[in-house]
Amino acid sequence: MDPSSLINEGSFPSANASSYSLAEIWPFPLNCGGGVSESGGVLELRRSHLGQNLDGVAETTRKGNGIRDVSVDESTLTEHSGRSAGVGRKRRDAASEDESSKLVSTSSGNDQNGCNGKRLEISGSRDENSDPKAEVEASLGVGNKSAEKSIQPSEPPKQDFIHVRARRGQATDSHSLAERARREKISERMKILQDLVPGCNKIIGKALVLDEIINYIQSLQRQVEFLSMKLEAVNSRMDPSNEGFPSKDFGAQTFDTAGLAFGSQATREYGQGSPPEWLHMQVGGGFERAT
Amino acid sequence: MAVHRLSLNPSSYKTRFTQRFLRALMKINKNKNRSSTSSSFQEIRRGRRRIKIAADGSMASAVGSKRAWSRAMLYKLRTRTRHQAWVRKISTAAKRKRDVGNKPEEELSRTDDLRRLVPGGEAMDFCSLLEETAHYIKCLTTQAHVMQSIADFYST
Repeated sequence: MDPSSLINEGSFPSANASSYSLAEIWPFPLNCGGGVSESGGVLELRRSHLGQNLDGVAETTRKGNGIRDVSVDESTLTEHSGRSAGVGRKRRDAASEDESSKLVSTSSGNDQNGCNGKRLEISGSRDENSDPKAEVEASLGVGNKSAEKSIQPSEPPKQDFIHVRARRGQATDSHSLAERARREKISERMKILQDLVPGCNKIIGKALVLDEIINYIQSLQRQVEFLSMKLEAVNSRMDPSNEGFPSKDFGAQTFDTAGLAFGSQATREYGQGSPPEWLHMQVGGGFERAT
Repeated sequence: MAVHRLSLNPSSYKTRFTQRFLRALMKINKNKNRSSTSSSFQEIRRGRRRIKIAADGSMASAVGSKRAWSRAMLYKLRTRTRHQAWVRKISTAAKRKRDVGNKPEEELSRTDDLRRLVPGGEAMDFCSLLEETAHYIKCLTTQAHVMQSIADFYST
């Protein structure tokens, strides 16, 4: 359902229709539905007032107005019933994760961030001057920009957007939002790495965790070096007539022995597989690390 | 993360690696038996090097080309001699640059260390570096396990 076509008719039920489409896309109980319809009504009055000015404007700007209408709707919603509306939207976002994957979304997380910033912009300008002309200009600018990005503004935002919601007092421009998203991604991956590296769970501090990860990788690589040396010694002793040994069974056997310890709780095997002294000397002195 | 875990399915990766590695070991053994066997230090070193390359190559090819680090490792192994010269040049240049820049931030040097350890990490941003590191650690653990069990199998 295209909200722009509905709003273009310029009559009162269009606001109801837009709110209806919102409810259709988010099929969960909206406890602030009354607020939505109310603010929609207020907006609709204003829109009918504006509609006279907008008669000769092209189709794209109309689309833009449709988008702007909905966005202003949301901003007024948050303004009107501040805390409960925010909670409701958050809950809707959390619940609409599944739908967001199903719906064909043309806007990425960054676009959503941009829209958020613009929303705030719009609400600010609306507070300052209630002159309809200025409002139309602002809406034209925003509408043209966002019409290229997303035809359906009321679709639920992507999963990235949930994580980067700005709290009170935090910056809301797109750069800091993107930076915050990046930092959260990094910390999430650090957590995965901490689970992977044994004995790394209790360490606090990014630098120490990185140290531990580096040590672990180095030890693993050293262990592979040592094992390749051991295998070389074994391999030279190996009988060449022994080639046709059943590799399938062998693979299964290694799988049995090694499959248990693989995973997050892998033991720290560079402690167990400590080479004898002469090998250690050779590893340390004779060869450079293969990195 | 469920997708990543599926893409790594440890058992299948492990069997793939084991098959490749055993095949490479047999090939090495055949070649060595054909040539003259001398137990000099150089010869031992070369053989060890060959096995290390076989292990790394089978690890990277078992993962395939869908990971950045395995791609980088395969590329490195293919253009080995050229790459070694290149790495030497790069590392000296980086050392010179670090001496000039003289940044005291320890985390930066740690990230550089990590970049040097993970194959292909020189060209990654920090986010994907961490992801590739996680996958690389998993594969290294598997490699070490498999090699350990092969060694145990032959030595007994």
